[in-house]
Amino acid sequence: MSEQLDLLAQMGRDFAASQDIEATMARALSRIATLVGAEGGALFLLDNAAENLVCHASHGPVDILGLSVGADQGIVGRSVAGNVSEMVRDVSLDQSFQNSLDQQSGFTTKSILCAPMVVRGAAQEEERIGAIELVNKADAQGLFADDDLKFLEVLAASAALAIHNARMSRQLAEKEVMRRELERAAEIQRGLLPPPGDANFPVSGVNRPARVVSGDFFDHFTLFDGRIAFTLADVSGKGMNAALLMAKSASLFRCLGKEDLRPGRLLQRINAEVCETSMRGMFVTMVAGVYDPVTGRVVMANAGHEPPLLHKEDGTFEALEAGSPPVGIPIELTGGGPVPEDVLYLDGGSLYIFTDGVTEGYIADKQELGVDGLQTMIVEGLKAGLNGTDRIDRVAECLTKSDEPLRDDITILVIDDGANAKARCGQKQARTEEEQQTDQPLIGSLCKLSLPARPQSLILVRRAVEASAHLSGFSKEQTQDIVLAVDEACQNVVRHAYVGDLDGDMVVEVQRENGDYRILIRDFAPPVDESNIKPRDLNDVRPGGLGVHFIREVMDAMDYLPPPDGQGNLLRLKKSIPHNAVK
Amino acid sequence: MEINSSEQGNVKVIAISGEVDLSTSPRVRDALLECILGSQAVVVDLSQVAYIDSSGVASLVEAFQNAKSRGQTFTLANVGETPLRVLKLARLDQVFVIHGTVEEAIAALA
Repeated sequence: MSEQLDLLAQMGRDFAASQDIEATMARALSRIATLVGAEGGALFLLDNAAENLVCHASHGPVDILGLSVGADQGIVGRSVAGNVSEMVRDVSLDQSFQNSLDQQSGFTTKSILCAPMVVRGAAQEEERIGAIELVNKADAQGLFADDDLKFLEVLAASAALAIHNARMSRQLAEKEVMRRELERAAEIQRGLLPPPGDANFPVSGVNRPARVVSGDFFDHFTLFDGRIAFTLADVSGKGMNAALLMAKSASLFRCLGKEDLRPGRLLQRINAEVCETSMRGMFVTMVAGVYDPVTGRVVMANAGHEPPLLHKEDGTFEALEAGSPPVGIPIELTGGGPVPEDVLYLDGGSLYIFTDGVTEGYIADKQELGVDGLQTMIVEGLKAGLNGTDRIDRVAECLTKSDEPLRDDITILVIDDGANAKARCGQKQARTEEEQQTDQPLIGSLCKLSLPARPQSLILVRRAVEASAHLSGFSKEQTQDIVLAVDEACQNVVRHAYVGDLDGDMVVEVQRENGDYRILIRDFAPPVDESNIKPRDLNDVRPGGLGVHFIREVMDAMDYLPPPDGQGNLLRLKKSIPHNAVK
Repeated sequence: MEINSSEQGNVKVIAISGEVDLSTSPRVRDALLECILGSQAVVVDLSQVAYIDSSGVASLVEAFQNAKSRGQTFTLANVGETPLRVLKLARLDQVFVIHGTVEEAIAALA
């Protein structure tokens, strides 16, 4: 008896401590078989589908590890299904006995004991784990007695509990690992969002996921000329799938946006990428745009997203409807063209972009916030003197504090032109019709040439620069000077950037922004050491080294900027357009 | 970019036309040096030069100094607005001897 109690105690400890349930079961079976005095035995577990009983431990002369029988077949099946122990004292007298195994193995089964392993849950529900079967009493006759069965029942019950507990703790451990991974994913996601700027920064956003990870995102980054690119997007669905597409779309925005920031075309390119490597049936509603703090001008494109709200200085609201279907709808259906752009002047007002998780979010008593509710909260926030960041934080707080869990992710982006408008001293410049249109050559990028960095390319650059300088209003002499300066700058690339056989490209972009004419020259060669670039001393009449001098004489500014992606060099030349010539 | 040279007496006149930039200036450099090797007096006619950059200017400077080291003359003639502007930017307009026409340049040599 004490042996048996020892076994029970030991079995319990063994299972609790063990990482390897299978090995523990094998040991337990051996001990049980030995203690009851059986020649052989097997431990069966019900599989996940509860369709088969599979042998997970085998003891004795015949090894049936891995053997699978139907969940209701044979003595073991009967035992498990009925949650009763079975004894076939003498198999030669039992019909349901399958002697097929005996024929295969050469072992002669005489007597069988089988006890089910079942645990009862808190609500008295039964969980069938399996059964332990023992064969052939190890004495002269080889037949079991009733005591043997009773003994086996007790042991099987303990084994059941031990196995159940071991499974539970393993599941808990797995859940814990998954939970930690999910939290890690959420942390990475938060890292993809832009860090909060200082209190006076005009663009800010807030994001609260409904679950651990979010399918919404927002982003903004500042271009070298002070304009701020922004985006807000809502990926269909929730959870991990949505989060993955979110990460992809967010990266595309940053990466492609730094190359070419016309919002309509940017969304078109993002759409092409997402459709090409499509995550079936998933799409993204997306708003992308650029805000110029100097003028308060916003150029924006909306692909299928909830209309952003413009809150004007006079207090009225205007909704800006989407111009195109969402990103990710197959191009065969949408045509795949650029998304139409809106141009608007904030004039001291604020632009709010948000996901439908906001307007459909609950505030209290299962009431949706709605567009009206959002507008009210915005007005209240302004009255209370809150800045943009605080106004949207307040809305997010209101939605997350309600009794109901969040229906959907909440994301809001605000562009607050208030401070910048004051800095403009309230002067509303007379805007020409042309300025209010999009994609006009007068503002923004006039041209962008990608050419091989070799001498033959220079004449092409000169022609393009000459035409665009003239278009921008420079006099003939000024134009010639600019052409010379740009030629010299490109010569630097041709001569020095790609040493030896390296055949590289250079990209020359001409930009016009209000009163400035700018040329950007980009190469992809190893970074230039600025201290090596010095104009020649002109009192020393020697050939060579004149180029930099020409550039500095002609242009207002010559700067090396951090190149996008850190690759190569980016040189910027700037010259102010004379006022009376501004077209 | 085209280079034409002719002789007027013992003066070599070399006329450059078109755009002198990094891709074409090596030819100018070679032509100028050849002229200097072949004659005591060289006049460069720049009337048809639509564009000249620092590499073109450098070729002129190199030829000028080469001639000077040999005790030969090297002058410029018919320098239009465009090339003159570039020479002014480089502050070389006072270094070169510049004449209004080729005839004046040749006459000055006598």
